[in-house]
Amino acid sequence: MKHALAPLFDGHDAVQAEIDRRPADTADHTAATRRILDTYHPARLSLTVTDVVTETPSTATFRLRRPDGTDLPPFLAGQYVTVFADGTSRAYAISSSPARADHWDLTVRRVPGGRISNHLVDTVAPGHTLVTTGPMGTFHHNPLFHGDDVVFLAGGSGVAPAMSMIRDILDHGLDRRFHLLYGSRSADDVLFRDELDALAAKHPNIRVDHVIADPGPQWAGPTGFLTASLIETLAGPLDGRMVYVCGPQALYPYALAQLAELGHPPRRIRFEANGAPADPTAQPHWPADTAPDTEVTVTARGQSFRTRRDRPLLDALEDQGIRPEAACRSGECSLCRVRVVKGTVHAAEEARLRLSDEKFGYTHSCVAYPITDVELDV
Amino acid sequence: MRTMTDVDAVVIGAGNAGLTAAATLQRAGLRTLLVERHNVPGGCATSFRRGRYEFEVALHQLSGVGLEGQGFTLRGLFNKLGVSDRIDFVQEEDLYRAVVPGQHDVTLPADWAGAADALEEAFPGNRDRIERFFKLLRNVAFWQIAAMRGLPGDDINPVLFRQGLRPLGDVLDEHFDDPGIKSVLAAYWVYLGQPPSRLAFQDLAVTLFAYLEFKPWHVRGGSQAMSTAILDSFLDAGGEVRFNTAVTGIRTERGRAVGVRLDDGEEVSAREVVSNASLPVTYGMLDASAVPHRIRTDLATRRVGVSGFILHMGLDATPAELGFTTSTTFVNADTDDERTYAAYHTLEPARGICLSSYDVAPIGFAPSGTTHVGLMTLQYSDLWEKLSPAEYAKAKFAYAETLLDRAEAVVPGIRDAIEEVDVATPLTMARYLGHPGGAIYGYDQDRTENWLFRDSLRDPGVPGLHLAGSWAGFGGFQPTLEAGHRVARNLLHAQPA
Repeated sequence: MKHALAPLFDGHDAVQAEIDRRPADTADHTAATRRILDTYHPARLSLTVTDVVTETPSTATFRLRRPDGTDLPPFLAGQYVTVFADGTSRAYAISSSPARADHWDLTVRRVPGGRISNHLVDTVAPGHTLVTTGPMGTFHHNPLFHGDDVVFLAGGSGVAPAMSMIRDILDHGLDRRFHLLYGSRSADDVLFRDELDALAAKHPNIRVDHVIADPGPQWAGPTGFLTASLIETLAGPLDGRMVYVCGPQALYPYALAQLAELGHPPRRIRFEANGAPADPTAQPHWPADTAPDTEVTVTARGQSFRTRRDRPLLDALEDQGIRPEAACRSGECSLCRVRVVKGTVHAAEEARLRLSDEKFGYTHSCVAYPITDVELDV
Repeated sequence: MRTMTDVDAVVIGAGNAGLTAAATLQRAGLRTLLVERHNVPGGCATSFRRGRYEFEVALHQLSGVGLEGQGFTLRGLFNKLGVSDRIDFVQEEDLYRAVVPGQHDVTLPADWAGAADALEEAFPGNRDRIERFFKLLRNVAFWQIAAMRGLPGDDINPVLFRQGLRPLGDVLDEHFDDPGIKSVLAAYWVYLGQPPSRLAFQDLAVTLFAYLEFKPWHVRGGSQAMSTAILDSFLDAGGEVRFNTAVTGIRTERGRAVGVRLDDGEEVSAREVVSNASLPVTYGMLDASAVPHRIRTDLATRRVGVSGFILHMGLDATPAELGFTTSTTFVNADTDDERTYAAYHTLEPARGICLSSYDVAPIGFAPSGTTHVGLMTLQYSDLWEKLSPAEYAKAKFAYAETLLDRAEAVVPGIRDAIEEVDVATPLTMARYLGHPGGAIYGYDQDRTENWLFRDSLRDPGVPGLHLAGSWAGFGGFQPTLEAGHRVARNLLHAQPA
């Protein structure tokens, strides 16, 4: 209905006439919005495991498809999905090609003592259902500034996203050179070895060097760790090429030091997130005089419980059946953000907090540790 | 088993308008429940981290804050809500720098005389026209604000009625011959999403007035710091908030809104329901029988508005090294704003960009020696929605390159400084806002969307339902922050004693 003042305005009748002339917009806009979300960013997917490939004694690749066989959400090579199991969740990189929308392969290596990796490798068989998030994460080639000549330092199962990146280059015919330096403990531990070697032999844009830490007598290739000199020997001068690093946590500070030794600028390095720190108390800013193995009381959603100071709040909450949304579990994605209403928590270096988070007491529970008794708004 | 919460008012969505509505209601003594899908307050008014940088998502320049002592300011609203001392405002010196390479490069300081001087220097011989235009603009803005505050028609200067609803382009053409000066003066049209031929003069007048009279500002800690400060005002007054919770339906009884249903199955009963969700989503949450025919007819003649395409960038150089002299820089291919607008429906190379450098007047998001930049253009979502998922990423990065190409005019070598960049498309906006078309300003704010013809704020059509946000009025930060407060105040006035 027109405002009482409207007729006083010059031109009001022309505007009203335009309104009256308009064909009715009968589109179902909310359905269209929902379709975008379902296509690109579904909150949860229930997927069927159609194949399980035993890659090595400790590693399996699970092939996931939609039950109705339709395409999965698109992803960028290097991204991960989070798998929900046993009251918690873990993020796994997709190792398959983004050119193949009908399935995702998740390559999972047993973590010694790891609850979910062992559960998946031991119990998940074809026909089972896994609940996942959509694809997430920023560890992917960004054509706006990563360049068309890149290096990837992988350790162990950290080769999974590299595998996807290589398949992306070949399946999409991308004009990109990719040099994988892949460190494994022993020659038996190397994942995708035959496929990697075959691809490298066939495609001049793809180079693969295996580096074995504990080589057997049969091994003739490079040995030891991915040292600065070995990186330079194998990859040549880095010259500002983007370097991706993915592997066990210990690889990150090590690789950073080696790359620094080569004069490689930090902003030309991308590290894939890889969980909460194995030992948060080893970080220099762990509060002094705080014994990690002592307990405090956490209160959230009307429950109070005791937990160790060196246990991430997210894990402690999940133990009590309180499950904040979570994905990367590495401090990065912010989905497990909680607000600390009372008490003090310690944020590990991995926590990508915002200026306002610190001001208003928000933290990422996956890499936050209760230093005192705390009350959380979850 | 279903549980039932009983409150005086429920607010759907903790965007700008939802936050100020909730804070106003709770502080006036209504037991208010605020429900938000995400895990933080703010809606658009938020930020995120990449590498060493934090990125402001939506706020370019906050209008209307004003200086201490000025009346009718956002500062005054924040005082009323008890949040002024929780927000550190950062003042910007200039409105913007407007560049058409090879034609003009003009920086307008944020004051009337300085802006007039800068325009005269760039376009000599226009002094008198500029003075006349500014005088008209001030008049129209003043009387427009008075009219919206309810001043009777007889008391309003007729200049508003003669000029207010005219297309901006007509008013500019009447005052100026040089297409360059018209283009510079109209530059803020992109903050409203409609080109000079389709925008009511009064809408640009109010916008320019709000920045020139009350200065452009930002917030230390970004718009998220402001959102959270308002949330805390609400919580301190005893309000209850549920994050990570979606409203799935608005409950009605005998045609009146009586509460909401939540995605966990809980039902909330409330005397008043304030929706900060988009109008299509809000009315979609009501039983079809509860929405009167005239409301449906009205909605069907409104057009889902323009979305945005943004590169959130962390650049490894200082603003000065990069060549940023102002917080806000508009770069256009030429002075043909109509063609630039038409291109929002295509993927032809971006013709007009807005560069927001958040470290000329630092808001604290970039490490020392670096710069946080938002590089933006407007885009409708239709083409993006039609892309096949397999084509999406390629199209996104290819289009992003065209914005970088355009940015080269003022930041030569910008690509070499990139340390982080994340790209948001209209589909990204749709994902995070839940808005149809990823619209960032609500419906297209052309002349048909003018408050004279649309009544969503005053008459939502369903008793007990109140609408607050960009879809029910003006888009943008100041308008939505004020709208939430106004809707809450009107609701309080209508309360039984």
